Amino acid sequence: MKWSRRVQTPLVWGGHLLAAAAFAWPLFAPALPTEAQGAVPFVALALAPLAAVALVFVLDGSVRSAKVLALLGTLTAVGAAVRIVGTGVGGIEAVFVLLILAGRAYGARFGFLLGVFVILLSSTLQGGFGPWTPFQMFACGWVGAGAGLLPRLGGRRAKLAEVAMLATYGVLASYAFGLIMNFWYWPFAVGTGAGISYEPGATLGENLGSFLLYSLVTSTASWDTLRAITTVIGLAVAGPAVLAALRRAKLPRNALR
Amino acid sequence: MIPPAPSTPTSHAVFRFRAAPLRHAAILAVGFIVVRVLYRVLFHGVDGNGVVLLDLPVVRLPAPFGHVTMLGPITSGGLWTSIESALPIAAVIFAFGAINACVDLSKLFARGARGGPLRGAARTLVIAWATVPALGDAVREVALARKLRGSRGAAALLVPLLERTVERAVAIAAAMEVRGFGAQRSVDAGSATPIEFREVVLAYGACADAADAGPDAPIGGWTLAVDEFVVPAGSLVLVGGPTGSGKSTLLHALSGLHTHFDDGELHGSARLAGVDRRTVPPRETAGFVGVVLQNPRRGFASETVADEIGFAPSARGVVASIVAARVAEAAARVGVTPLLGRDIRALSAGEATLVAIAAALVERPRILLVDEPLADLDAEARLRIRALLDSLAHEHGVCVVVAEHRVGELAAVADARFDIRDGLVARIASGEALGPEDEEDASAGDRASAGARATIASTGEPRLEARGVHVVLGGRVAVDNASLDLNAGEIVALAGPNGAGKSSLLLALALPNAAGAVRVGGVDVAHLRRRTRRAAIALVPEASDDLLCATSAEDECRRADREAGAASGTTRARFLAFLGARDDAAASARLLASHPRDLSTGERRCLAIAIQLAADASVLLIDEPTRGLDARARALVAAALRASASDGRAVAIATHDHAFAAELAERTIEMRDGRLGSGAQRTAVPS
Repeated sequence: MKWSRRVQTPLVWGGHLLAAAAFAWPLFAPALPTEAQGAVPFVALALAPLAAVALVFVLDGSVRSAKVLALLGTLTAVGAAVRIVGTGVGGIEAVFVLLILAGRAYGARFGFLLGVFVILLSSTLQGGFGPWTPFQMFACGWVGAGAGLLPRLGGRRAKLAEVAMLATYGVLASYAFGLIMNFWYWPFAVGTGAGISYEPGATLGENLGSFLLYSLVTSTASWDTLRAITTVIGLAVAGPAVLAALRRAKLPRNALR
Repeated sequence: MIPPAPSTPTSHAVFRFRAAPLRHAAILAVGFIVVRVLYRVLFHGVDGNGVVLLDLPVVRLPAPFGHVTMLGPITSGGLWTSIESALPIAAVIFAFGAINACVDLSKLFARGARGGPLRGAARTLVIAWATVPALGDAVREVALARKLRGSRGAAALLVPLLERTVERAVAIAAAMEVRGFGAQRSVDAGSATPIEFREVVLAYGACADAADAGPDAPIGGWTLAVDEFVVPAGSLVLVGGPTGSGKSTLLHALSGLHTHFDDGELHGSARLAGVDRRTVPPRETAGFVGVVLQNPRRGFASETVADEIGFAPSARGVVASIVAARVAEAAARVGVTPLLGRDIRALSAGEATLVAIAAALVERPRILLVDEPLADLDAEARLRIRALLDSLAHEHGVCVVVAEHRVGELAAVADARFDIRDGLVARIASGEALGPEDEEDASAGDRASAGARATIASTGEPRLEARGVHVVLGGRVAVDNASLDLNAGEIVALAGPNGAGKSSLLLALALPNAAGAVRVGGVDVAHLRRRTRRAAIALVPEASDDLLCATSAEDECRRADREAGAASGTTRARFLAFLGARDDAAASARLLASHPRDLSTGERRCLAIAIQLAADASVLLIDEPTRGLDARARALVAAALRASASDGRAVAIATHDHAFAAELAERTIEMRDGRLGSGAQRTAVPS
């Protein structure tokens, strides 16, 4: 279905907001009446896949140009293969390079859909679907989309500046990815009653403190740092040439509208 | 590394059982419990009833983490509560594993792609699904090229891989576009002449990019003039001309890809069955224009042969039963009915071309455009395709246009011939003799320079000495105990059919790890390190484009110098000398500034040879140097090989192009079933 822009844009933003709410459920739970608090985690888990399906449904009309579709399909294959090959060494690491470069070359929507499809395809290939899958889709999709929203650069050293900007973004995205993936999962991972447990009754500050400690122990100090390093190296080594390769396909920046 | 694709024949069952996801989920579930216990031990969460197992001190953190306590006593009850509280979530993880083990989601992709609100996403995933297995092969080939080049690092792997990916994506997109994918409406053919192009000029705009039109596309400032190109129904027209002359561009202009997909320009009067080609995109004329693109296998967008042939009516939203009937009809017409249930990836080159023709015929087009249908096919398949095109035009009344540089083979069934020379499409009067460059395996350029061979001083000094090289691939003997001598200044050809072991032998010489010994200048190549090995022996692989990974020819040359430890400018000078552009400032500036993939096929191959010679190897091996080249490009490569040999190198080429071998080589050694024929060793050569 081809949506008119006036309908599509609010629907797309609504989908992203819904997903963001699912990620951030531990923040919202304390605001709700006590009897509803028990249901919040389950609502969040149900919300994420709904938001994913709804967004793909709304964006599907954009994927009607043969070129967009073919590029999305083949790059999804590359991303899924990279992710599967890298499973033993931290999984998502090298995919970030592809997501960032494709998002930069073809725009935010392309980057978002690429992230979603890479997770979908690799989960299908590996049989790895679970409650976490929609969260991974959004987190990866947002990494690609963010790269597409970065400003255009001009000037004499534009190529170098572009890679530097993407690398900086890559570092931020690596840590942000780890943080949001930890956030929705943290209450499930630790359970109640431990020092860093999520306490629906505690203040926001206390909960955030507990979460930061959890995140530091879980991935910020290890996987996320590794991911940031591999992303920067990948972008520095292959960035300009891969961007040139992608841009040679001449996909207009606004092809996905 | 990459998971195997579903085996042929493709089934459409959504339910099946795979143990791996279940095993995976079990490990994940246990891991979840273990990790939870660890967190709780670390953050004072196992302090409960029961026996105290370990009495660790409680540590309170400073602000802002003042509410957090760490460590603390570990009790048996606390441990048990931790495990117990983790069980429900572990069970959920395991349950998802069970679902994953039983449901094959990929089968839903193909169903969703045929129609419905998610067909864009589903089609994307079908393409991705079909691309993954091919990636494994691509990675292997690119990795080999990287090793031959002596490069390290991710760029030399990632860039060629992505170039291949983008090329494949563009090919798939073009194939989908000409079959009506994404059309908002369908334009019907009028009763006018099928093809009527008058005073047409084709050009590429300022933003034109050769990547869109394929590897041989022309760039900037290029035009093609078509004074009159009129084709009536029921006739077969042949378009000839060298690679890069614009055969594909003319066909793309007819199909509409030139203006609506390649960012090209078209001026003049261009009508297909009365429809204005300038304003109507290819997807809207898919109902009456069938298109078979060059190298059709790259553009396949489905999983099975039946789905591929039925792509156009499915994209139009025709109901499944009618699509099936159309597919059966088209398959029977082309003679590929037995292939219908096959996996699309399991086709030979000839079968793939036939399937692509069937896919173009499924909508019963009035016009059929076919680009290079005979490339890479064996004699039997070529005859079959010739008979098919003949019957389509002359029995079924289709207007058929074929672009082919092997004009000789199709001339007998053609009603008219056009030739492209110097930017002009000209009709060849019937009865006019074929030019020498039109014949399949001869090339005027090579013949003219044949005399140059005598001037090469073959010093006869031995450069390479291979003894008892034996390669076993997948249980089959690929190279059987081969011994070979190569001398300085000579060009040796290894000839023989596909699968004779030529490529395996070259690879075993360049990267010896098989049985036998390979010595260059008396030194065993197997014992050389990366850099010194490159100074001894270099191989240009068949897919020579995989060697390229920079953004300009100049960068590529600089990189090659660096990798080989050569003086800066070495490769650049060699590259320009090969192309005869060393003294031409304008030409060399253009060549060096070009993106390597925007160079013509012949120029690109010369660049690959120059890169591989960066360390000044004394032995140069080239696998299929003339693959995909026309006469002019072959002459370019031939000159590069002669120049390499005249520097005192030993040059060996593996080729099935007998004319090229006869033209260039002083010795031709036949290879069959892994065995080298006579003349391979010095002792066997009477002196």
